[in-house]
Amino acid sequence: MSSLLGAFNASASALDAQRTRIEVAVSNIANADSTKGPDGQPYRRRDVVLGAQPQDTFDAALGRADAVGVQVQQIVEDQMPFRRRYEPSHPDADAQGFVALPNVDVPEEMVDMLGAARAYQANITAMGLIKDTISKALELGK
Amino acid sequence: MNTITDGAIIAALGRQMNHAVARETVAASNLANLDTPGYRAREVTFSDTLDQELEQSAPLARTAAGHLGDANVAAAGTTETSGLPTRRDGNNVQLDRELVALSRASSDFSAAQTALAAKFRLVRYAINEGR
Repeated sequence: MSSLLGAFNASASALDAQRTRIEVAVSNIANADSTKGPDGQPYRRRDVVLGAQPQDTFDAALGRADAVGVQVQQIVEDQMPFRRRYEPSHPDADAQGFVALPNVDVPEEMVDMLGAARAYQANITAMGLIKDTISKALELGK
Repeated sequence: MNTITDGAIIAALGRQMNHAVARETVAASNLANLDTPGYRAREVTFSDTLDQELEQSAPLARTAAGHLGDANVAAAGTTETSGLPTRRDGNNVQLDRELVALSRASSDFSAAQTALAAKFRLVRYAINEGR
């Protein structure tokens, strides 16, 4: 049973991580044309770094099958150069009339978001199956 | 050798349930790490589990120093799944494969649970003198 709850927690951690990926992709798309942020620079594309997170349980200490969750380790800024567009009338244009635009590629963000949404669904399905197993086990006590 | 007793059947069903839970746990972990760079899909080491179960006739069999002496503790370790194509980020988890493994483990658990419940029902029937 403890193992099942561990599996449940692992799936829950994945929901958390995938939701963060969706949030980050959404803010990237929302700011695809933001030429000036709080620091005066155009918005930089953000990316989520995921890492496996083994759970520190009794089962793990015995070397038995145990759940491995996932964790958002950090959110990094993409250091690719900004896009540039010629628009001399823009208030953020430089001396040559070019405006620096965020290094966000909208189609790429959409693809990433779809992947995260599918992974989210898969983990919801997994949680449903684990929940079924737990309630099935509890039926033995009836 | 092994006589078919209620105790033996109940213990065997319990082991099947433990094994199903271990498989379910590993599949859920693989699914959780679907997008973790460098993560390798794992699976329950079936042969070790089988060895352990074959040794059940000899009491208190231990295959590793960390195991408790109880023969009913199913010791299912895990190993990296081999033969899966690795993606560019070093991850080789396949969504459909893990979902199938998860449903299969869940069904196996249900099957064992149903049989165990029937077994318990018979015991209760005997306790109640057939009422």
